[in-house]
Amino acid sequence: MITETVTSTTSLPPSELHFDFLVSSDGLPTLGSGACELMRMLDAKFRKAALQAGAEEKHFPTLIPRQTLESTGYFQSFPGYASEVNGPGRAGNYLLSPAVCYHCYQFLADSSVEREMVITCCGKCFRADSISNGHLWEFTMREIVFLGSSTVVLEQRQSWVRKVTCWARALGLDAELSVATDPFFGAQTRGKKLLQQIKELKYELAVPGPAGISMPIASFNLHEELFTEKFKIRLKNGLPLHSGCVAFGLERWYLALTSRHGINRALELVEALK
Amino acid sequence: MKTETPMPRTTTPAVESLLRFVNQDLLAESVGKVEPDTPLFEGGWIDSLKILTLIAFLEKRVGRKIPDELIVMDRFRTITVIARSFLES
Repeated sequence: MITETVTSTTSLPPSELHFDFLVSSDGLPTLGSGACELMRMLDAKFRKAALQAGAEEKHFPTLIPRQTLESTGYFQSFPGYASEVNGPGRAGNYLLSPAVCYHCYQFLADSSVEREMVITCCGKCFRADSISNGHLWEFTMREIVFLGSSTVVLEQRQSWVRKVTCWARALGLDAELSVATDPFFGAQTRGKKLLQQIKELKYELAVPGPAGISMPIASFNLHEELFTEKFKIRLKNGLPLHSGCVAFGLERWYLALTSRHGINRALELVEALK
Repeated sequence: MKTETPMPRTTTPAVESLLRFVNQDLLAESVGKVEPDTPLFEGGWIDSLKILTLIAFLEKRVGRKIPDELIVMDRFRTITVIARSFLES
């Protein structure tokens, strides 16, 4: 059932105006041609930048094994977020991926890496908790994951913070960077949450969305050794291996850009983005 | 050979009292000890339990609850910074 229509001022044919971005009451989006095109163009920019930064590209399944999420500590950190899938004979073994980067750690599990590495991947993600907050249950996430020494990972994060903030501002968005205060990985207790807040492990880049309400369009995260320890991923030289990631919510970029500019101007701006 | 006398460190009573608490109570089990300007978090001195104990100490000293939004790196980087942010204002 369609209960909410998000449209923008555009010069698309009237027949398409109301079908560019529809969200069901369960938080499932249906995209029109403008949304498809804009999100494709945005993702192409992010992907190209990742590849230019030396990223290796991966495409992972939409389903993720329960064991992988258990290894990340996901169920303790985000109880009630993950959506289970019940396939024939596989009841309870798989869930819909809540983020694409978890696949990377499983892919590299029990291995040694020569030196720092960057991986980029894009996929559909599902977070059931957000539906009641007016967020999407299903959304598209491009991620850039980096592994290396703590210094390398920190430098990578800072570099992406600068780059993405510049992009958002070049696209005419009033982007604001802040330390995230929402629940983050491993922050099951107040002490852990405050420690993450002080150490600034998660930054969010927020912009005004439809109706002017601020929404994060990208996050920049440091995991320290959380995932590399859990998945036994090591540096060959024996030094501690850290990980971090940048995540882009593509539907949110679409909503921010079209509510600010309309679809046609948004397409022009993304096309011209350096 | 002339030996230079080290310059006395200028610390405030608040810094000294906080330093004493951190080294003698919070880090009682640690082999190393911190200085007023030692980075507490980059150096891994403070974990998720110790931060709560530290906040409880500060709240007792100032006589009020410290809101979570004030618990940020700019106010907690070192002993000197914490003292300036919460005990000397």
